[in-house]
Amino acid sequence: MLSGTAVGNICNVSAMLSRESIALAYPAISVSVWVIGLAFAMLAGGIMGLVVSYPALRVKEEWFLSMILLVGGETFRIVVTNTPQIGCGFNGLAGITTPFYWLSSYFPSGPLQAEVPTGLYAAVIVALALGCFVFAQKICNSPYGRLLKSIRDDKVAAESLAKDVSRVRKQIMVIGSVMAGLAGALYVYYIGVATPEDYIPALTFSIWVMMILGGFANNRGLLVGTFVITMLDRGSLVSGILLQSYLANLNPNLIVYGRYMVEAVILLLLLVFRQKGIFPETRIKTKAYTLFDFKKNNNAEPSNSPGEGPQTGGAASG
Amino acid sequence: MTDENVLRVQGISKSFGGVTAVDNVSLAVKRGSITGLIGPNGSGKSTLFNLISGAEKKNPGGSIEFEGRAIDGLPPHRRSALGLGRTFQTPRLFTGMTVLENTMLAPRGQKGERPFVAPFRKRWEGQEIELAKKAQEQMTRLEIDKLYGKLTSEISGGQMKLAQLSTALMEDPKMLLLDEPTAGVAPRLAQDIFQSITDERQQKGTTFFIIEHRLEVLFKHVDTVFVMHQGRIIAEGRPESIVKDKKLIDAYLGS
Ligand SMILES: Nc1ncnc2c1ncn2[C@@H]1O[C@H](COP(=O)(O)OP(=O)(O)OP(=O)(O)O)[C@@H](O)[C@H]1O
Ligand SMILES: [Mg+2]
Repeated sequence: MLSGTAVGNICNVSAMLSRESIALAYPAISVSVWVIGLAFAMLAGGIMGLVVSYPALRVKEEWFLSMILLVGGETFRIVVTNTPQIGCGFNGLAGITTPFYWLSSYFPSGPLQAEVPTGLYAAVIVALALGCFVFAQKICNSPYGRLLKSIRDDKVAAESLAKDVSRVRKQIMVIGSVMAGLAGALYVYYIGVATPEDYIPALTFSIWVMMILGGFANNRGLLVGTFVITMLDRGSLVSGILLQSYLANLNPNLIVYGRYMVEAVILLLLLVFRQKGIFPETRIKTKAYTLFDFKKNNNAEPSNSPGEGPQTGGAASG
Repeated sequence: MTDENVLRVQGISKSFGGVTAVDNVSLAVKRGSITGLIGPNGSGKSTLFNLISGAEKKNPGGSIEFEGRAIDGLPPHRRSALGLGRTFQTPRLFTGMTVLENTMLAPRGQKGERPFVAPFRKRWEGQEIELAKKAQEQMTRLEIDKLYGKLTSEISGGQMKLAQLSTALMEDPKMLLLDEPTAGVAPRLAQDIFQSITDERQQKGTTFFIIEHRLEVLFKHVDTVFVMHQGRIIAEGRPESIVKDKKLIDAYLGS
């Protein structure tokens, strides 16, 4: 059956339909292909991260680094678009169902047929996203987080403290790229098609707005930023389509693409009023502070309270 | 075989375009000493430190040996990993981090500085608390403990110098290059800084090589002084003999 989709012919409609029917009939294949797909995406992401870290390490200014990454991504996208052998070119590879598509056969009719597999998959995505968030929180609130911030602030000074800046930059580039690979694969399974057109530079800027909105070096803020921009993105798409059925004359693109204007306005407002984002950068929460915070807040005998102390960073200046 | 010199510099130079900032300098610093480096503004003192620490590349030729090992081919972080620490004349602190975080960053070999150990708090928390105690003592001695939660972009210039010194000392280096540790620091605290340098040497045998313009404080604490002028070392000796040398004082004060 699998031979029915001969290599080189995976892009046409019948291949797409046979992928869907396999996914429907064979739960084990469906789920394991998905798992393998995620693993490969993470591996590929990690390798890409490692490769681009080499030119990235040679530049002094962060600006150049972002340019290199942006141009690298765009080059890759154009190559994929124009090389049908890689991913079916401009149209992309369609017929990618969620790993739980087979569940729909248990709900022969009604809305549950589509909602159950998608809903379950959405829950899995949220769980994995939470996993990434917890991992990020943990490495940020550790000596490694300190190391990362120090390199961000002053590379030369970090080197003078025996920190191997190139090595750390490589590590974090790979970690970030593995997460991005995972996110990309999850997204493709959610949306049902892998097309290079989904990864135009505007996506980079949307992610950038998420970061600026939430606040730099604040993972919780980043969650909020991501939530707001994603709701805007999905919400405009859905409401564009819904409104069309009421207002026949409405061009849905007005709403779908209008989100870019909203994003631009958000960006402008932030740059004028809150350059550091909505949420401020937080301290690196390790036990080191307990020694100090306790002294400041309580002149009585120290108890064995493990409290992390207040969030406010200020102490009286000397 | 142990060499009594921890640092040996042989015939190194540095030019910036037409300016020869360091001109064929050779010197040796004794292990466990407090050695001074003085000279007029622009005489090449900071540049010499930059060559030793690797922040700047020397001209071809000459050599730098630390603990009997040629280090001039090593990148800066490898030199400092060998135990050669430094501070900068204009403090270079991590401005997005608090004074405590700056100080805690310095120690080498922190378990939690590995990305796949970092998520497992239990594996590094013990070390973290030990280091925090040490940081607290260090910061209390330099009277910056109350600033622990302030971002280093929000403290005064003198406090920045102290925070930087505290960071450098936390590294437990074998040798520390200090570029004007008391510049911009109140006079009483300047005395205290040199006192803690002397204590540190006493306790740990750390070698200090110090650029300083406050000669009255410096001369009370150093064993040997090098005098630099127009990129060259023009004299070396005990502080008493340097003070007596009228010609040197004229060169130093005269420009
Ligand atoms: N990065 C640089 N580019 C060009 N010239 C430089 C550079 N760094 C230093 N110089 C020049 O090298 C010479 C020595 O400077 P250096 O900073 O070493 O002096 P210094 O002895 O530390 O002076 P000060 O006591 O004022 O700190 C000066 O003439 C300076 O202009
Ligand atoms: Mg100088």
